[in-house]
Amino acid sequence: MSTTGFALFGARPIFSKPVPFGQRYFPSWERYEESVRGIFDRQYYTEYGPLNQKLEQQLQQFIGVRHAICVTNATVAMMMLADAMGLKGKVILPSLAHISTAQSLSWAGLQPVFCDVDPVTHQLDPDRVAALIDQDVSAIMGVHLSGGACRPKDLAELAERHDIQLYFDAAHAFGCAVGGKRIGTFGRAEVFSFRSDMILNATDGGCICTNDDELAARLRTMRSSAGAGIPVAVTKTVNGRMSEAQCAIALMSLEDFPVNRQNNENLYRIYEERLAGIPGLDLVSPAGVSISNYQSLVCRVDERIFGLPRDVLIALLKAENVDARRYLHPGQHRSIPFVQGHLPAQLPVTESLCATCIQLPVGAHVTDQSIEGICDILRRAHQAASAISVRYGHMREHT
Amino acid sequence: MLNKNSIEELAIFGGAKLFETPKPTSNLVRPDIDAFLGYSKIFFEQHRYSNDGALVKLLEQRLSKFHQTEFCVTFCSGFWALCLAITAVAKPGRSEIVMPSFTYRRMADLAAWTKLKPHFCDVEEATLAVSAATARPCINDDTALILGVHPIVNFCDIDGLVDLARERDIPLLFDSVESVYESSAGRKIGCFGQAEVFSLGASKLVNGFEGGYITTNDGRLAERLLRARDFGLKGPDEVVVSGGLNANLNEIHAAMALASMDDLGDQVVRNRQRYQSYLRLLAPLKGIRMLEFDESHNPGYKNIVIEVLDDWPVSRDDTVRILNAEMILARAYYTPPLHRKRMAYPYVTAELPVTDRLSERYILPPCGHLVSNEDIAAIAALLGFISANAEAINARLQQQGEAK
Repeated sequence: MSTTGFALFGARPIFSKPVPFGQRYFPSWERYEESVRGIFDRQYYTEYGPLNQKLEQQLQQFIGVRHAICVTNATVAMMMLADAMGLKGKVILPSLAHISTAQSLSWAGLQPVFCDVDPVTHQLDPDRVAALIDQDVSAIMGVHLSGGACRPKDLAELAERHDIQLYFDAAHAFGCAVGGKRIGTFGRAEVFSFRSDMILNATDGGCICTNDDELAARLRTMRSSAGAGIPVAVTKTVNGRMSEAQCAIALMSLEDFPVNRQNNENLYRIYEERLAGIPGLDLVSPAGVSISNYQSLVCRVDERIFGLPRDVLIALLKAENVDARRYLHPGQHRSIPFVQGHLPAQLPVTESLCATCIQLPVGAHVTDQSIEGICDILRRAHQAASAISVRYGHMREHT
Repeated sequence: MLNKNSIEELAIFGGAKLFETPKPTSNLVRPDIDAFLGYSKIFFEQHRYSNDGALVKLLEQRLSKFHQTEFCVTFCSGFWALCLAITAVAKPGRSEIVMPSFTYRRMADLAAWTKLKPHFCDVEEATLAVSAATARPCINDDTALILGVHPIVNFCDIDGLVDLARERDIPLLFDSVESVYESSAGRKIGCFGQAEVFSLGASKLVNGFEGGYITTNDGRLAERLLRARDFGLKGPDEVVVSGGLNANLNEIHAAMALASMDDLGDQVVRNRQRYQSYLRLLAPLKGIRMLEFDESHNPGYKNIVIEVLDDWPVSRDDTVRILNAEMILARAYYTPPLHRKRMAYPYVTAELPVTDRLSERYILPPCGHLVSNEDIAAIAALLGFISANAEAINARLQQQGEAK
């Protein structure tokens, strides 16, 4: 096979318009306009307004949790939560997660202890967590990845046994369930992200879910939103408000959730079918959940079988106008400032996954035809792997 | 205009409220909906809703032009903008931030998030704000940063603080949330110190629902802040700046801020009309004095501040309570001051006699888009009524207090 059909080497890209990364579901213009006209009529823009109240009630009902507290974004939510939970010292979390998880701990004056993950599910492994617990550890932060979940019940037993707290970064897991129980109900609290990359889009935004009344009261006071309950003593406050505009988009996105989740699943199934015949590409299936939102499409690239390393594959896809990305690369333990004091040798699975996993587009602007095109590029890349490898090597030498 | 003939008719004593809807001290300016929808169309068609989108870039260009600075970086709020600016410019290895106590109620909390100890300084009686003279005694070998905060009316001692910071080689930031529109000696607010921080919250001059921004002429600082607001990332997964978080402004908020900017000149004309109504109508009242804007600084006239003088016959706090009962959401100005609040984090203890005295004297009456000139006339008439019936009101309030 030759390299002539690839845009990376001068051919016309398969896609004339970019196939974007991230979910990017958004209401129609008509619904958007009607909704924002309502805000302009009410002249209530932020500070726990009517849409914020409605959104929190609907989220509580959807998830089956006592409190859903909407916040500016998920990172601010994680920072507030770590402070409101009164955590001290060290917190165990997976390195294989978005950098914001460890950053939230630093802002709250806590030290992250990175844990390795299960090689098959990619989720935090309770046995590996157990090995890291010492007297300075005050909590475990579970992170649900890629439409799956990180064994919340086993982690809860472990936390209880060691008398430490447990909470979750559930940014990727809105709408998922474990054993029929919605994510958002586990641990002391769980945090969702409403970035436009996620299935529930508020353009940006987040939400803390908890069944703990006292913690909820603290979080509502910290957030600085007039009228959201009786203020209680907190160590410090923030501006953590989610505006009425963000809440308007989130409400419509929540209404659309069943359709969008089904669309994601349909796209996942198409990928599953098309990728099955390509050697060296292993699609990661959402692990440990009874319902998945299928909002991420992650593949592991086995270079020895596929014939090309992950990064060459990304370069090929980008040239074809496909926004494929490395998955949680390079791992939090290899990012500043956390790189100091964390030895890669202690996280062999994370190291391997960070070097080999690729994320492919899935969401509102991905069609079955785009998946056909993407998978065709991948199939041809495998067939022409040797020639691509040589030509890519030459290209790199000359740039 | 004022439908009250006896003190029994005051809402605090069970009478009907003067207003049916609350009269806030928040600006809550409503830009033109079509302008807002026009900007919205841009992000809608691009399917890009956050993360340095087209409208964020447009807003940053517009704001840097407005403030006559080289750079502007937007954020999800003024709070996180200031946090990231502090962490970016504070002297490494030092632990204190010099700031006024007579200011924004979350300012000490904000410093605590940056892990710096608030070292509160006093303010000038004439400006209600920090000056070189009040900041200087607080500076020591542990000072990491001076935070100049502009008061609600006019501004703080810009030149003095700039000179002091230079003399002591200490970084200087300005919280200019309340001074968006002003100029000092012909230079727009926004270009002083290492950087200046502003808010795009709905209660501020430029309504972006929520949001904030920083202006600076320091390109390296702007670049650092641009990264810091997006988790410290350059590209999708390379962290190049430590201590980042998600502080991105989303595109809807940017659209709102842009629409508000379109209306800004007209808004200031409307604000000035409200300000002049207050000036005219409160002038005859003995015992209260309005703080006047220095019109040579080209102010935005957003908020109104009233000083309760010694010969005003009802206490400041009782006056506020009476107004609040009438749906007039007047507030005591920066009360209590920060050094009088409980803090669960390290701070430097301070004796601030001027701040203590001033914190008992000022009121913010309603202002902004939801307050008409007729409302102002009713509020002024009510204050006149309170003054005229002060003796009976005080006696009745005392009875109420004793009954409790």
